[in-house]
Amino acid sequence: MHLLPLVLYALAAAAYTAHFARRDERVGRFATAALAAGVLAHTYLIGMQTVEAGHAPLVGTTAAISAFVWLLGLSYLYVELTASERSMGAFVAVLLTGLAVIPAVDTTVSPRPPVLQSPLFTVHVMSLLFAYASFALACVLGVTYVLLFKEIKAKHLGFFYTRLPSLQTLDVMNSRAITVGWIFLTVGCVVGGIWAAQVQNSTDPRVQAMSLADPKILVAVLSWVIYSFAVFARKAIGWSGRRAAYLSGVAFAVVLLNFVLVGYFLTKSHNF
Amino acid sequence: MRLYAVGLSHRTAPVELRECVDFARGGVAQALVALAARAVGREVVVLSTCNRAEIYAVGENDATADRVSRFFSEYHNIPHERMADHLYIRSGADAARHLFRVAAGLDSLVVGEPQILGQVKSAYAAAHEGRFTAALMNRLFHSAFTAGKRVRSETGLGEGAVSVSYAAIALAKKIFGDLKGRSVLILGAGEMAKLTGVYLQAQQVRQIAIASRTLVTAENLAGHLGGTAVAWDALDSALHAADIVVTATGASEPVLTRARLEDAMRPRRGRALFIIDIAVPRDVEASAGDLDQVFLYNIDDLQAIVQENLARRTAELSHAEAIVEEEVARFVAWMQSREIVPTVVALRQRFEAIRQAELARLEPKLSGLPPEARSRVEEITRLIVEKLLLTPTEQLKAVSDEAMIVAYADALNRLFSLPTEKNASEPDTESEVAS
Repeated sequence: MHLLPLVLYALAAAAYTAHFARRDERVGRFATAALAAGVLAHTYLIGMQTVEAGHAPLVGTTAAISAFVWLLGLSYLYVELTASERSMGAFVAVLLTGLAVIPAVDTTVSPRPPVLQSPLFTVHVMSLLFAYASFALACVLGVTYVLLFKEIKAKHLGFFYTRLPSLQTLDVMNSRAITVGWIFLTVGCVVGGIWAAQVQNSTDPRVQAMSLADPKILVAVLSWVIYSFAVFARKAIGWSGRRAAYLSGVAFAVVLLNFVLVGYFLTKSHNF
Repeated sequence: MRLYAVGLSHRTAPVELRECVDFARGGVAQALVALAARAVGREVVVLSTCNRAEIYAVGENDATADRVSRFFSEYHNIPHERMADHLYIRSGADAARHLFRVAAGLDSLVVGEPQILGQVKSAYAAAHEGRFTAALMNRLFHSAFTAGKRVRSETGLGEGAVSVSYAAIALAKKIFGDLKGRSVLILGAGEMAKLTGVYLQAQQVRQIAIASRTLVTAENLAGHLGGTAVAWDALDSALHAADIVVTATGASEPVLTRARLEDAMRPRRGRALFIIDIAVPRDVEASAGDLDQVFLYNIDDLQAIVQENLARRTAELSHAEAIVEEEVARFVAWMQSREIVPTVVALRQRFEAIRQAELARLEPKLSGLPPEARSRVEEITRLIVEKLLLTPTEQLKAVSDEAMIVAYADALNRLFSLPTEKNASEPDTESEVAS
């Protein structure tokens, strides 16, 4: 059962890639169905874990990655259906599959320590995960923007030219994804700060480690600075198009680094 | 029942003749009514576009094709001798293949052009509405739509602009998305500038500004295109407002130098600028294309794209033809399996008649039985006949080889001395069995 979402995500990734390369409409529809089935199976899994543990499985990096994959799948499906644009699927589904390996291998649901028993904790985690999902979409949009931009600049109209929507569309969608992500990132960080202040007196060593000096918090603040700059730069100094695309790629690399590497190996405050 | 396609197209007839046999002029509906009035065929569809005039008909034998081909000249009052050499006549699978190739754009003047599928659809819709079609035509045209759609979605046949102006507009759309709300600046007021302006105007751009060294010629073109004229020395501010710039002046030195465009780009804050340089010699310094967010294409670049697209379309031809063949095979299999239907119907009627006759013969012996037992006997005999016929019916319907169908039909007719053809092909029972 733990493997089912991963299998379906992998199937969707293969189908999206085949659809992107060969542009067979039926394969495309199959890819969407596979992804939807994956998200559904994942929903069921998370639901079962919630019932089993008595709380949402958001404790620990693995659980957070699982929830992130689920949210990204859901957000992407929403974007695909509202924009009727399937070409991003190849990129998103590959990312999903890569990340879904982690919760599929490590299936334990961490118990929730007393310090996390606060509604603020759920708000904190969910906002940040939603922000990350938006940033992942922005990153994919940015990457495809650059690929298409290079083709048009090089006057060699080929693979991506026939498969991707216009630069303008990619840029507008990128801008939206960054803005939405930035709002949730801000909310997530602020709520985290408030909550950390509330539990200051806890003896839990992890709470004691809650400071800007902790790598997880430091990099989170750094990514907030980068995304704030991205939002500001677009509005104020015209960093749209290619620059915005590069920026959303670099910024998401930082987010992913913080999420996975720092989350597993470096942080002393967020290792639940 | 046989399928026929009779017509002429840009491949077989000169434009003067095609103009004369335009069914669309008087209305396709009228032509359909005229065809029905002359009882040309059982089912008819008229396809008439500027490049072809074709009639698809279902009839008993080759006389149908002859009637259709005469109809072309009679309906349009053209001597048949003038017409006959240009008409092609296809029947059976060839007729289906012809229609599928037409619907897929394989028979079009510009191979892969997308309009034809819509034209085939409306030709069928007109005939269907007027009840000029039945099972065979319905299936034929729906298979043609499938073939057309598959070729469009599974091959790159219709992809890529094959003229310079369309290539430029497709590029602009790839950069800006919708061109509505975009501003165009045209430099120069000559023929080329005018032509491009007309194309862009058709895309419903927000505004077209024309700049020329002599304001009067700019004003003339502006009047023609519904745009505004810009004085030559106000060029820089016009550049600032524009999203798409078309340069077509006769200047011998570049009008838009890299330095000038660099200055123009600065206040645009990353807003993209698409420059189409169709002037020879070029109006825009080539190195300007290196500037960020400037997309510069000259006439050679566009022509190279057109050549590439043409080559790509040619490469997709065999793939498209293969799809058409697949659909033809599927349709022909269905069409031929239909031919066995009268035999199947006759066979079933024969068995049922025997059953009824035997029940009638045994009536004196059965009359003593209680009603339940009688109905049981009725049911059992019916089931036995059903069971006996089940496998043969399935097997017969699965036969798709024409020669085999004839052989089977012949054998069954002899073995069971079935009535041949006379009463067997009632349309109602036929469609019932066929479904």
